[in-house]
Amino acid sequence: MGATDYLRRRLGRALVFAILCVVTVVMLYPFWFMLVTSLQSYSQYLNRSGFSLDSWVQLSDVLPLAQQLFNSTLVTVSAVAIILVVSTMGGFAFAKLRYPGRSIVLLAIVGGMMVPLQSIIIPEFVNIANVGLINQFQGAILVYAALGTPFATFLMTTYFRGIPSELIEASIIDGASYLSVFVKVMIPLATPALVTVAVLQFIQIWDDLLIGLLFLQTPEVRTITVGLATLQSSRIINVPVLMAGSLASAMPAVIVYVIFQRYLVAGLTMGMRK
Amino acid sequence: MTGRSAALSRPIARRRGGAPRATGPLRGAERRAGILFSLPVIVLTGALLFLPIIQTFYYSLTSWNGITSKWVGLDNFRQMVDDPVFWRVLLNNAFLLLSIPFAILIPLMVAFLLHQHVFGWRVFRSLYFLPTAISWVVIGMVAARVFASRGILNDLLAMVGLRADLLTNEYTAMLAVILTFIWSVFGTNTIIFITGMATLDRDIYEAAKVDGAGGLAIFRFITIPLLMRFIQFTFVLTLITGFTALFSLIFVMTTGGPGYGTTTLEFFVYQKAFAQGVFGYAAAIGVALFAIVFAINLVQQRLLRSRED
Repeated sequence: MGATDYLRRRLGRALVFAILCVVTVVMLYPFWFMLVTSLQSYSQYLNRSGFSLDSWVQLSDVLPLAQQLFNSTLVTVSAVAIILVVSTMGGFAFAKLRYPGRSIVLLAIVGGMMVPLQSIIIPEFVNIANVGLINQFQGAILVYAALGTPFATFLMTTYFRGIPSELIEASIIDGASYLSVFVKVMIPLATPALVTVAVLQFIQIWDDLLIGLLFLQTPEVRTITVGLATLQSSRIINVPVLMAGSLASAMPAVIVYVIFQRYLVAGLTMGMRK
Repeated sequence: MTGRSAALSRPIARRRGGAPRATGPLRGAERRAGILFSLPVIVLTGALLFLPIIQTFYYSLTSWNGITSKWVGLDNFRQMVDDPVFWRVLLNNAFLLLSIPFAILIPLMVAFLLHQHVFGWRVFRSLYFLPTAISWVVIGMVAARVFASRGILNDLLAMVGLRADLLTNEYTAMLAVILTFIWSVFGTNTIIFITGMATLDRDIYEAAKVDGAGGLAIFRFITIPLLMRFIQFTFVLTLITGFTALFSLIFVMTTGGPGYGTTTLEFFVYQKAFAQGVFGYAAAIGVALFAIVFAINLVQQRLLRSRED
């Protein structure tokens, strides 16, 4: 009896393992497809045999790859930097300082998290165009920063609330200014939350299409994600080249993901705490 | 949790500790610091998030081409209700809504399997979450090939003598978009559920097993009810993703077609505004989208609150 029970248990776990393997294949197939296809020339792709680096060579001809990767990095890093500064300051104020109007402002900003981008994109575009920032990095950076800020501020506020107020009060009574408390006490304590916000926002902004598409229109200022999407819509580029481009554009965000994975998961579940 | 208890302990600590805080110059300094520290976030979101919302509402009441606008009252909304394309687009959003249970149930089941902690489950968990890092553009580009006439789907179907050209038909194209959507949110939803399951008391499972409950019974009568809060959170997250984050996927995968087969509300806004230049009407559609998302959030919060009470 005990032996058959043991066998049934082992069999059940083997079955679970097998199902999880099948799911893995489904989840990883796109990566496999991108890699294998990008290592074929167009004729090899059509014949389904052979390998070459032709498509990667061709990709660098049709897409200013280095330039657009640089643009993506510049825009993403700048926007993330602004988000970090603004949301940490705001989060500190909302969580730890008492002043008139605090709760209503916080409520509005948390409410800002649920505004669909498409609902504001038209006036946003017209406003940025009116101040002459279309095709300027500053325009896209500011828009990305503003869109990422509500969620970041929400996370930082939640995080700062968990830090005991006594820490601040003691320093203030000892004569420290709020600025030095913020810089010397709060920021070091908030490092894990800062990393979470930075990683979440980095991936989101790196992967975005719409803002880049509208606010950075010429090839020289385009981000890699936009460059790739416009290649596709021009309909002349063949599949292996597109897959090489997809892989090139996806790699930076995937690397950030692999390094900082646990911070991402922390951010997701932090969003659940009310 | 910790935040709430810290907030509760503060006034008590003040009363007990002799030093009278929050009076005179110190209180003024705190107020000034509070305003200064929250100023950047107020300016940034005010100018680039809240101002555009107000403008969208205003422009939805005008006939506007981006330069000159003329007040037309509710004409754009009347036009919207009379526009058969608007209803066709709304139908696509309804399809998305109907797909949400699958986008939740599949991750829930897989999370349950992961929670059995079989050999290598941590590796599986990481691999499932990996697609979260890649853009909708890349996903759409691969998906278009998966569903193409000579893609992997047809290779597999050919083995059982079937064919499916999902992307070429006005109604099945949305199915292809939805399958891609479910694939894309799978990782995030699975992680949320596995996190939720980790918070559950292991004793309950043990007790159920001792009472002779099988895996399915445990899943149906213990895991699902105890995870209700997580399921609700995931529902809203997935729905909002479906309604407001699929622009890039649709742009790359189908450009909204064939016909209006895969045009959702958010894609419709883009088409009307930036392809056809009817900004006023597009703003009205944007308002409709805003209202729908707002309503979903409101209902969700009501549900959460009533459950907690």
